Amino acid sequence: MPTENPFQDPLRFERQAPECAAVIFGANGDLTKRKLLPALYRLAYDRRLTAGFAVVGISRTPMTDDQFRQKMLEAVKEFSEDTNFDENVWRAFATGLFYVAGDIADPALYQRLAAKLNEIESSRHTGGNVLFYLSTQPSQYAPIAQSLGAAGLAKGNGWRRLIVEKPFGHDLASARELSDRLHEHFDESSVYRIDHYLGKETVQNILAFRFGNGIFEPLWNRRYINHIQITGAESIGVEDRGAYYEEAGALDDMIQNHLLQVMATIAMEPSASFRATSVRDERSKLLRSIRPMKPDEIRVNTVAGQYGAGNVGGKQLSGYRQEAKVAPDSQTDTYAAVTFFVENWRWAGVPFYIRTGKRLPKRVTEIAIQFNPAPLTIFDEDDGDRAPNLLVVRIQPDEGISLKFLSKRPGSGMNLRPVSMDFNYGSSFGERSPSAYETLLLDAIIGDATLYTRQDMVEASWAVVEPIQNEWRSTKLDFPNYPAGSWGPAAADEMLARRGHTWRRP
Amino acid sequence: MGTVAPEKILRELADLWLSVGKRGQNDDASGVLRACTMTLVVLTEAGDESGTLGETIAALMPEHPARTIIIRLTGAGERTLAERVYQQCWMPFGQRRQICCEQIEITASDDAVADLPPVVLPLVVADLPVIVWCRSPRFVDHLEVAHKVIVDSAAFPLNRLAGTRDYILGDLAWTRLTRWRQMLAQIFENRENLAALDRVATVTIQHPGGSPTSSAFYLGAWVKDCLPQVEVKFVPGTWTGKAEAPLVIGIVLEGEGISVELARWEDRMVTTINGLAQCVNLPLVTEYNLMREELAIVRHDPVFEKTLASALRLAYPKDK
Repeated sequence: MPTENPFQDPLRFERQAPECAAVIFGANGDLTKRKLLPALYRLAYDRRLTAGFAVVGISRTPMTDDQFRQKMLEAVKEFSEDTNFDENVWRAFATGLFYVAGDIADPALYQRLAAKLNEIESSRHTGGNVLFYLSTQPSQYAPIAQSLGAAGLAKGNGWRRLIVEKPFGHDLASARELSDRLHEHFDESSVYRIDHYLGKETVQNILAFRFGNGIFEPLWNRRYINHIQITGAESIGVEDRGAYYEEAGALDDMIQNHLLQVMATIAMEPSASFRATSVRDERSKLLRSIRPMKPDEIRVNTVAGQYGAGNVGGKQLSGYRQEAKVAPDSQTDTYAAVTFFVENWRWAGVPFYIRTGKRLPKRVTEIAIQFNPAPLTIFDEDDGDRAPNLLVVRIQPDEGISLKFLSKRPGSGMNLRPVSMDFNYGSSFGERSPSAYETLLLDAIIGDATLYTRQDMVEASWAVVEPIQNEWRSTKLDFPNYPAGSWGPAAADEMLARRGHTWRRP
Repeated sequence: MGTVAPEKILRELADLWLSVGKRGQNDDASGVLRACTMTLVVLTEAGDESGTLGETIAALMPEHPARTIIIRLTGAGERTLAERVYQQCWMPFGQRRQICCEQIEITASDDAVADLPPVVLPLVVADLPVIVWCRSPRFVDHLEVAHKVIVDSAAFPLNRLAGTRDYILGDLAWTRLTRWRQMLAQIFENRENLAALDRVATVTIQHPGGSPTSSAFYLGAWVKDCLPQVEVKFVPGTWTGKAEAPLVIGIVLEGEGISVELARWEDRMVTTINGLAQCVNLPLVTEYNLMREELAIVRHDPVFEKTLASALRLAYPKDK
């Protein structure tokens, strides 16, 4: 009996998902409507899903299958970006949408789900493969996993995988506890911790850029790189997420997961292969090489901020403490800047400056790698601008890579000026880039965990973030300390100035 | 007698960039970005529909930015060559910077074909692949500079592709089968169907017209390579669709306890597995779709190369 499909042709065929059913807990939530269903519809549109692919939505709201389909149709029409709506594709896709209503704490829900999955397995030939997506409150992850296990749904004829969204715990101990509880029914290889930053095309392109080219890697070390700045800036405030943000803060919400993962990608050692285990091993090693800071180091190498009222383009913006569901004396950080050091031979002594914040002047995520100046200055100081060589990897928006170098200004004399050589990802390749959720959902269905976060990576991140978190919590911070629409607190500029550096203004 | 000097063309290209750059500055835009991943040489006949070709190339450029050299043969007459240089620019959605690609069009009389290689050679972009797209079968034997040559054997007998060559070959008659092949492969991703694959004994390929098309030979050869036990049959099929008949109308795999049929109907593909039919959307492929796929593969394609050899054996069993 053949065990491999002899018709596959990976050079020509697009990656396709094997047959399966996806069960979404929290199917009535924002993430399902805005991201998950539009991503799944797009995968169907691109013929990446099998004809029998099915989605089972679960939430408390009573709804029939048809009502769920209608709701998801509206979501797909409203939130699909760069995708034409095709009535025929939708009709075929919608026949695979089902809904089961119930309270996730009620064991009977899981019995109904089991019956529905059995029915789908025989009618749509899904081979018993099931992907569970927990798009719920984090506090419900462990109870859902345990209920799935108790109902016998963590095992079946095919594979069973579990996707969980961040946050993965709120400190090291809770992250470990969460993993332990998930592992009672799903082993680590079946747990997919999603970090949508890693699904972004440009973050993946970092690996192609570093390890697909021979010219950059020799420069990628302390001898040539002066420092690295990673910025994850948002121009919006906390919007209607005040309650969530009060618990999280910028450090936990962005640095502990997304930006440390980006840092790991930019600084990791080359992996032996592009297999999930090898790549994740290297990311994990890098995260474990980041030096956890002592309280006195935290005071000089970190800055917490919170936005106050500000005026942007004539529009008056309220401060964080005036936002809905935020305490009037809140000590939550809406801005965080940290100087990390990596303790290995490649990076010893090179500062990694990471900053993130709400209500900054623009929405931008980028990595700026500043190189050391030329060892000998043969041109006079007044021969022009002396800007350092800079390699900027823009993750969003306008994804791409720029290299800044000096060039002679045309004309007599030796006047230098910086010029920028740009590679624009979206326009150099006019092809539409898949959304992060399309990439990550397809990966999970195929069983490729390369872009998912592993337990040891989560723990390594918490190990460096938790001491900062503890120090900040034990200090009365003088908030607000930056106006909405500015680039953050003055203390963040001073943090870099102590090493003779300045933040880029992206 | 008209002549063409490659250096003059290169100067004109440089001037073009200068003028576009200046215009960009005047418009207070963020300048112009030159994008190039290959040289695409298109060999075509004077009678070839220039509007359609232009549209196809324009559509390909955002994804495969290239210096395009269109060589158009004007037919018999005085030995003459002429050129024009222009640019194709586009503004990516939501961005301020224009992206431009260079295009060079050279027209040549039949007698001037021999003069073309020394003109084209200096115009190819250094260090990037040169892809030659032969839109006319009579060019197939004039292709020395190419890393890859793309032909369409729907227009000529398959045995013209026999023999060895220094470049990579692509054939649009094969590319047209990708969606068919992918759908067939997808059916056998199902474990039950995969388990029955050993029992497939005959494969019947339906083609338009009285004799099999090159695409039909390719499909038969590919299935035979994947399932050596099968007997491949070619039968004329009936096409009642409004659009022009595709080069393969259907394929049926049969054996004990398994029957799989894929049949095209207008812009749909009907898949029938053991009597259960399903219809999926499968728009007819355009020249743009085919070229888009081929330009993305600038390396040897072992599956195609093996299938070509098998297809030649299937189509010409008496030839060595």
